[in-house]
Amino acid sequence: MSTARSRGRGTRHRVLRVLAAGEAGVILALVILCVTFQLIQPAFGSAADVRAILSALSYLGIISVGQIILLIGGEFDLSVGSTAGLSAIVAADLMAHHDIPVAVAVLGGLLVGALIGLVNGVVVVRLRIPAFIATLGMLFVAQGATQVITDGQPIYPLPQVVSDIGQATPLFGLGWSFAFFVVVAILGDLFLRVTVPGRTMYAVGGNPVVARLSGVRVERYKIGAFVLSGTLAAAGGLFLMGNLGSGTTSIGQGWELLVIAGVVVGGVSLFGGVGSVVGGAVGMLLLQVVQSGLVVVGISPNWQTIAVGSIMVLAVGLDVWRRRLPDTEPTEQPTATAAASAPAPEAADRAATGET
Amino acid sequence: MTDRPALRVTDVVKSFGSTTVLKGVSLELEPGSIHGLLGQNGAGKSTLVKIMTGVHGAGSFTGVVQVDGSTVQLTRPQDARQLGIGYVPQEIDVVEHLTVTENVLVGDLGSGLRFDRRAADRRCRTLLDQLGMTIAPRTRVSVLSAAQRQLLMIARALALTPKVLILDEPTTSLTDTEAVALGHILRRLAATGLGILYITHRVREVLDLCDGATVLRDGRVVEQLSRSDLTADRIVTAMAGRQVRDLFPGRRYPGGRTALSVRNLGVRPARGSSARVEDVSFDVHQGEILGIAGLLGAGRSELLAGVFGAVPRTGTVTVGGREVRPGHPRHARSAGIGMLTEERKRTGLLFNMSALRNITIGSLGSVSHRGFLDFAGERRVGRRVIGDLEVKTPGIHSSVEHLSGGNQQKLLIGRTLLPEPSVILLDEPTKGVDVGTRAQIYRLVNTLAERGAALVVVSSELDELLGMCDRFLVLAAGRLVDEFTKGDGSEQRILASIARVTPADEAITT
Ligand SMILES: Nc1ncnc2c1ncn2[C@@H]1O[C@H](COP(=O)(O)OP(=O)(O)OP(=O)(O)O)[C@@H](O)[C@H]1O
Ligand SMILES: [Mg+2]
Repeated sequence: MSTARSRGRGTRHRVLRVLAAGEAGVILALVILCVTFQLIQPAFGSAADVRAILSALSYLGIISVGQIILLIGGEFDLSVGSTAGLSAIVAADLMAHHDIPVAVAVLGGLLVGALIGLVNGVVVVRLRIPAFIATLGMLFVAQGATQVITDGQPIYPLPQVVSDIGQATPLFGLGWSFAFFVVVAILGDLFLRVTVPGRTMYAVGGNPVVARLSGVRVERYKIGAFVLSGTLAAAGGLFLMGNLGSGTTSIGQGWELLVIAGVVVGGVSLFGGVGSVVGGAVGMLLLQVVQSGLVVVGISPNWQTIAVGSIMVLAVGLDVWRRRLPDTEPTEQPTATAAASAPAPEAADRAATGET
Repeated sequence: MTDRPALRVTDVVKSFGSTTVLKGVSLELEPGSIHGLLGQNGAGKSTLVKIMTGVHGAGSFTGVVQVDGSTVQLTRPQDARQLGIGYVPQEIDVVEHLTVTENVLVGDLGSGLRFDRRAADRRCRTLLDQLGMTIAPRTRVSVLSAAQRQLLMIARALALTPKVLILDEPTTSLTDTEAVALGHILRRLAATGLGILYITHRVREVLDLCDGATVLRDGRVVEQLSRSDLTADRIVTAMAGRQVRDLFPGRRYPGGRTALSVRNLGVRPARGSSARVEDVSFDVHQGEILGIAGLLGAGRSELLAGVFGAVPRTGTVTVGGREVRPGHPRHARSAGIGMLTEERKRTGLLFNMSALRNITIGSLGSVSHRGFLDFAGERRVGRRVIGDLEVKTPGIHSSVEHLSGGNQQKLLIGRTLLPEPSVILLDEPTKGVDVGTRAQIYRLVNTLAERGAALVVVSSELDELLGMCDRFLVLAAGRLVDEFTKGDGSEQRILASIARVTPADEAITT
């Protein structure tokens, strides 16, 4: 291969890679959606609208970054919603009922999230209980703990400084939570793209056996990702608590599914090793736009969840179809039949998400 | 015998994107014959048989496929199966958590809703017997060895009582002994009128088995060999695309200091398997190539895995005088041990990553700066490895999934050697690799030894092992049964020392 030729091909390759990267598709879909809503209802896209969408996005967005990294590492966390709730409640309880300084109480909340993540990680990795079961269990445990602490009553009032920070709008009318989300997303994206542990995380999710043979401490990576996921879930919950100015038991309810749906729409694979923070975050944004858009164009909010569900399935379906395009058929035919007649995680994985 | 070929393809042209992989290939397979399909890695052999088996469906290529004289449209693998075309793909493809029966009879588990487990097990038993396998039909496939999985794939193809059987490198996980046994089985099947198309890189199998052969090169048929043309020389030349003189580089091991020292190594068998290592001790010296011989399940791979720390072990492993901690391969790696594993798909390739990233994943430290990846440096390293090993890939960023088997293997060798290990463990380094490239790998191994590395090689092909190595260990049932240096022994000696401890009828079964 001559260098000149390979360089020419390199550029083309790079263009193709960007298009194939999974992010292009979801970004395109987002643009089309926005234009469509705008055409139907010119009021859509007003500054207030955008602001509402972005602030609603920020809490779930923060959590999604942890979930994306965890998914790429080959695990997932269904307990993020109730972790967010419990952390917020613990922090609220500490500052409202125990006279603990706000900063310390917030740290306490974050610590709760980290601890929950650690427990999830240890249960999944060391006791070898599938993440689906382990974190589903944790979802209930954390939710129950929230009830035990609050007895169903919101914790109110919180020190003034909490709402001062939670309701401040330092940039373009957006809160600190949004700023935090942007920072976390950028850091997460850099981590996955340009650092050694980030790259290693893809190997861990792609094939843990191979990763181990390459010298990687697979268990540490997985546990680390669980801790990160728990901590960021706590952060999301704490920001919402600040914004509400009270420790409400409904914080985080149902978030886990929204987060997973969003990042999957953004091209993050449920089977590990595939995806990016940018893609996942755009997926989250897309779902948010759909929900707000439906309201703005006057469709009953009751339809929102139907839309969310359909879009998720559609997105994954499109993705599978697109990956098959150049070849018109799955590459491992005999497995495809095997997969059809019996669940074959490996085969299904590659058919659904094999990276191009 | 009829005149009609059991299977015929005419002028097949197949492209992937802008690359044309088959450029007008025609081939005929007579019933009752075993026909070899030979050629270098990436020549298009697997692609051709995927067309014959409906994997690449009608419409994705041009050309004609005829079964029993009539033109057929194969759009899905099921179509081919219904027409009696059995297919054993190159990559072992089993569903780990299902039983042997379920894997063998997959897609054909009786009709309707009722699944008669016992009848299915009985059918499976017959098929296994046919292949000389003694494993129980209810065994979970996850505990089977690579070789057993490969035989299982063949049983799956035979389950359809096909008229045509297409085998894409069926012996890559088998040792010579099992390969010969499989050969007998195929001969028997051919005698019943089955037409068999047989892809292999092993010269000896072509000599022993084939009634004729077609040689592909860069997507074209370059030679049709009849039985009388099939001499070792012609085959090698045809497969390599050039004359290969001195397959094995001449070498003399001058003697060196002890690099790796293994004492009382023990590895317990994985659940459901019987392959173990018991009380094995040996040394390997700098510049020395140690070969490990044995049958299936003799514990050869387990021995390498034990030394590398990939599986729990007892006993001690010492590199350069320092004991290596067990428990995790990273200890072995930081002591300078590198290992190439046997199963590309399960323990080698990362299908979610590009060719480049597959190469560098074990050496990220050397392509990064304070934890940040140096992309330009990584690409440089990747291009060098791909260039040095002549890996045929569309580009460094392409997926490893579509590389031909031999090229995947070269890529993994590149990954293993990248950190420049001083002790190198190679489990079947030429698995699925063409003759020309084999010579290249032998030279590479030789060069590594000359530079002072200590190598331990497991190979199922005895002539390869005998040609490449300086000293040999023979394993049987996990124990060391013989040891000799080059010149002191031959294939006979190895087989004899194995036979002394293993009853003959256990040859293929394990
Ligand atoms: N699905 C695919 N998409 C793109 N390229 C492909 C695909 N399948 C095969 N190729 C390319 O086609 C060429 C021929 O591949 P093929 O697998 O047929 O080779 P082969 O003769 O079987 O080699 P080997 O002996 O190594 O198994 C290779 O260069 C390979 O990269
Ligand atoms: Mg092939």
